[in-house]
Amino acid sequence: MFAYDFMRHAFIAGTLIAIMCGAIGVFIMARNLSFIAHTFSHIGFAGASFAVFAGLDPLIGLLLFTLLGACGVGQLGVRVFRRDAAVSVILSLALGLGILFLSLSDAQGSFTKTILFGSVVGIDLQDVWQLVGLTLFVLLVLAVGYRWLKFDSFDQTGAEAAGLPVHLISIGFLLLMAVAVSVTVQIVGALLVFALMTVPAAAARFFTQSIFGMILTAALLAMAGVWFGLSAGYYTNAPVSFYIVAFEALSYFVGLLYQRVGQMRRGEA
Amino acid sequence: MLHRIQMNHLSVGFNGEEVLRDLSFYVPVGKMFAIIGPNGAGKSTLLKVLLGLIRPQAGEMVIEGDGKPVIGYVPQSRPIDEETPIAAKDFITLGLTSHLLPWLTRAERSKLKEIMEFTDTEMLAKKPIGRLSGGERQRVFLAQALIREPDLLLLDESTANLDPGAQEEMMRLVFRICEKRGVTVIFISHDLAQVATYADQVLLLARGKYVQGGAADLLSDQQLLAEYYQHEPVDAAQKATLESAQRQAMFH
Repeated sequence: MFAYDFMRHAFIAGTLIAIMCGAIGVFIMARNLSFIAHTFSHIGFAGASFAVFAGLDPLIGLLLFTLLGACGVGQLGVRVFRRDAAVSVILSLALGLGILFLSLSDAQGSFTKTILFGSVVGIDLQDVWQLVGLTLFVLLVLAVGYRWLKFDSFDQTGAEAAGLPVHLISIGFLLLMAVAVSVTVQIVGALLVFALMTVPAAAARFFTQSIFGMILTAALLAMAGVWFGLSAGYYTNAPVSFYIVAFEALSYFVGLLYQRVGQMRRGEA
Repeated sequence: MLHRIQMNHLSVGFNGEEVLRDLSFYVPVGKMFAIIGPNGAGKSTLLKVLLGLIRPQAGEMVIEGDGKPVIGYVPQSRPIDEETPIAAKDFITLGLTSHLLPWLTRAERSKLKEIMEFTDTEMLAKKPIGRLSGGERQRVFLAQALIREPDLLLLDESTANLDPGAQEEMMRLVFRICEKRGVTVIFISHDLAQVATYADQVLLLARGKYVQGGAADLLSDQQLLAEYYQHEPVDAAQKATLESAQRQAMFH
């Protein structure tokens, strides 16, 4: 399996992206932003299609559109976008735009499939460097901003009272999320960003009550899912994203079961 | 350490409506200071002004200390997401923001241990915050405020949702914080018996008027209390509290 360049590239990029998704996912869950992350991935799809139409690198289009989206959400306030209606309007508009740009460009059907459902086959060395660079950037910002972000995500009242720049933290996090989504879309596709960004973090909450523990668990679950997906995909020829999603879903349900058993032991349920 | 807390001619309003008008008072440093008054008097607004979350339209606020004063705040309740069951210890640690390091320094770890002992939260360390009782939660919130080493602690009806036993426990803890750690405490309360027991000075606030005085003097002035609380529909329970507070204050 590792005899092929593209598999080696996929493992390197996938592993780093998984660690990033686990880390940022815990904050996405705590800040109730999972549907905004999902919306960003659709905006990213429009961006990637636009890039193809304009003859640019899809990653440029992804970053451009998601970052603009993050600014828009930040400007209007996150609360507006927690409403179902606002999210569904933006989601469908973004998908529509994506389809428009694709029909205007001479992109082939395989490109549409790649950007919607992800692909690991086409990753060359240059892509790997790009992904590694962006991922390390996100992880570095998360590490430096960890204490502020943690406070604001898990106790907004306390963070505001302590004089933390909560508005700045909120916008900063949205921008970081936009970068993270743009990177992740390349592996699992726009439709399945949930699989790496929120499911591992949601599952991690069943296993630990410490914030760092959640980050660690989520990162491990995401990483295991990516490795399993890449290996299983390689040997069976079924889509990698399917295996990743299946693994993460399974880990979520195992977590749920683990929590239930714990509650029953304590006599709570 | 604080030197002086003084408000001069504060006025605060929202949407053209004035909530606080020309309010001047001082808070004795290192003491317990209560803000009482009927609903809608602007008590919580005043705390938010002190916190710096609301900017007064006019007037001057002086909170002077050795360095930049650190203010701790414990509200009546906090929106805690039950879906995010983070441990009490982690919740207390959130208050530590003076470093950028992702991990705790040795000094921070010993500080955490000391604060958890002081607030009697060691037993709760690993429990998810969502599964704590009201009283336990408030102690954890208090610990989070304390770990920032505040000069001034603001409590906005922090005991209102607790049962009498937990109320008493919480107030005794707050009193110890004031006494042992030299923290100035400003607390809002509807429980006049509690105010009579713990406060040195009281600010009685109503729309458009206020009066400051010693707790014993002010709470024994029935006429004054009746005048300030007149618009409040005083139910039997509150009336009983009011009367018992007055009795207690008289024998103080």
